[in-house]
Amino acid sequence: MSAAGRMSLRNVVKRYGTFTALRGITLDIEPGEFFALLGPSGSGKTTTLRILAGLETVDEGTVMLDDADVTHSEPGERDVAMVFQSYALYPHMTVYDNIAFPLKMVGMKKAEIGAAVRAAAAKVHIDHLLDRRPGQLSGGQQQRCALARAIVRQPRLFLLDEPLSNLDAKLRLETRVELKKLQRSLGVTTAYVTHDQEEAMTIADRLAVFMDGNIVQVGTPETVFARPNSIEVATFLGNPPMNLLPGVLCGRALRVGQHAVALAHDYGSTERPVMLGVRPGAFRIDGAGIPAQVDLTEQLGDSVIADLRVADTLIRVRLPERTRLAEGTQVRVTFDAEDAHLFDPETHARL
Amino acid sequence: MKRSTIRTVVALAVAMVLLLVWAFPIIWGLITSFKTERDVLAYPPTVVFHPTLSNYWDVLFGATSILPNFTSSIILAGATTVLTMLLAVPAAYALARLALPAKRATGFYVLITQMLPPVGLVIPYYLVFSRIGWLDTYRGLVLIYLTFSLPFAIWLMVSYFEDIPHEMEEAALLDRAGRWRALWHVILPQARGGIAVTLIFVFLNAWNEFLFAVVLGGNTVRPVTVAMFNYISVEQTLWGKLAAAAMIAMLPVILLGLVAQKHIVKGLTVGAVKGGGRR
Repeated sequence: MSAAGRMSLRNVVKRYGTFTALRGITLDIEPGEFFALLGPSGSGKTTTLRILAGLETVDEGTVMLDDADVTHSEPGERDVAMVFQSYALYPHMTVYDNIAFPLKMVGMKKAEIGAAVRAAAAKVHIDHLLDRRPGQLSGGQQQRCALARAIVRQPRLFLLDEPLSNLDAKLRLETRVELKKLQRSLGVTTAYVTHDQEEAMTIADRLAVFMDGNIVQVGTPETVFARPNSIEVATFLGNPPMNLLPGVLCGRALRVGQHAVALAHDYGSTERPVMLGVRPGAFRIDGAGIPAQVDLTEQLGDSVIADLRVADTLIRVRLPERTRLAEGTQVRVTFDAEDAHLFDPETHARL
Repeated sequence: MKRSTIRTVVALAVAMVLLLVWAFPIIWGLITSFKTERDVLAYPPTVVFHPTLSNYWDVLFGATSILPNFTSSIILAGATTVLTMLLAVPAAYALARLALPAKRATGFYVLITQMLPPVGLVIPYYLVFSRIGWLDTYRGLVLIYLTFSLPFAIWLMVSYFEDIPHEMEEAALLDRAGRWRALWHVILPQARGGIAVTLIFVFLNAWNEFLFAVVLGGNTVRPVTVAMFNYISVEQTLWGKLAAAAMIAMLPVILLGLVAQKHIVKGLTVGAVKGGGRR
């Protein structure tokens, strides 16, 4: 490994004709980090990854790799490896030749190539498939082959574009764990694009949330989940998503409909409208709480998801498994003050 | 279940009829080539006759041997094919991939050259060639053939290159292959089928060409297509020899088809990219 693998973007702007894909992205990925680029489709995360790879040019801003300006470098000059969403295996080559290709291209000796290919294939458990062609592999095996081709030359930076999206649900969970172990054992800086918030939360050391060509929040999964800095981030992370209830804030008290909730902080004595955000799991049944009508309940086995109607707003709450709520009845729900997220209804920013 | 059986039977019957229609002239020609002139002219036509190789002997080694013309055809078609492929492969790749200015206009221009009727061109070409002394030369005819085969080959191959996912080059570029090695190691092997098909078409067109060859050729450059007409004269038509010459003229094309067949087999890229292969 030639260098640490620190990647930085400074005010990167990317336009496609009149469409602005990235509106000034600034991002630092630390050496050895597993970093997720998370966002809905069309938010610019894949464009960002392709810019890191050198497959897209930038219209403004700079791309730095270990303190060297690589903004205008060709993909081959950057010493980065990528796993494409489609895997992009070379269909006319065997698995062995696919993995060996990047080594052949830099003129490595045959004997060394053989050893390196076998080692990389063993790491992802496909060393028994080296003579096959990609067309003869299952989806999971193809994905491993693409991984092996990327790790075989020990790049400075590892770029993964939704690598698990073509696998079935069970395999996806297994591969997710393996991918994280693999990244830990290799210690290579990794940028990982996904639209699956659960995937990003479980796999990443840190993540950046993309919305509309901007990065709206960067942090560890825990902090982004616990302290989302806008309504958009709050509702994007978590399943079911965070509930939003309009309310009025005054001092340490929040009024939701006729009901008052005590808060942990004092927000000043001027009365103003706010948007209250509460995660589904933070609610509990409490006789002194906010009145709500039960619309529907879903048994998940280890918990119950209940759709409740509070005034005109529908909320989804997660309750303990043995909770029995008859549909159409009235209940009262409450939550702890520290579980309340307050947002400005105009700017959508966290208060 | 019953329905699919009926469908199979109908499909087979249609295929048989089509095959008969297509193969009949060739089979008849083959039969004729083994007949003596008397058997050829027998009426009603005989199917049972005493086969002879004398037609082939005469056509190959007789006074009016077509062997020199055969060589002529091979040089013309071979040179046209090699030059076309050398120029068309990179051109088609560029048209399919690079963000060239006026790319659409170029593509349209390539196609529109195919719309000129050859009969309208043959006289001007004759006048130009007679002025610069290119009549009855290989360079002259090959140049003319290129004006038709090159646009055709480019147009045909662009679609093959466009079918190959962009990720292929991108993966190769990230693997530090560079543009040229990405083309050579990754793209061209995947376009093999398309290249084989194009190559056969180009060779076939050049091999079959008659109009330009008869006007712009001469005693030095006279391909088989033109030479075969020596067997049709004012007094008589030597059907047996004509058929034998035709069979020999067909041989290289059939051989080429057989050799290239396995490259044309589809499904080479199945499983490389999500969603399976291309149709």
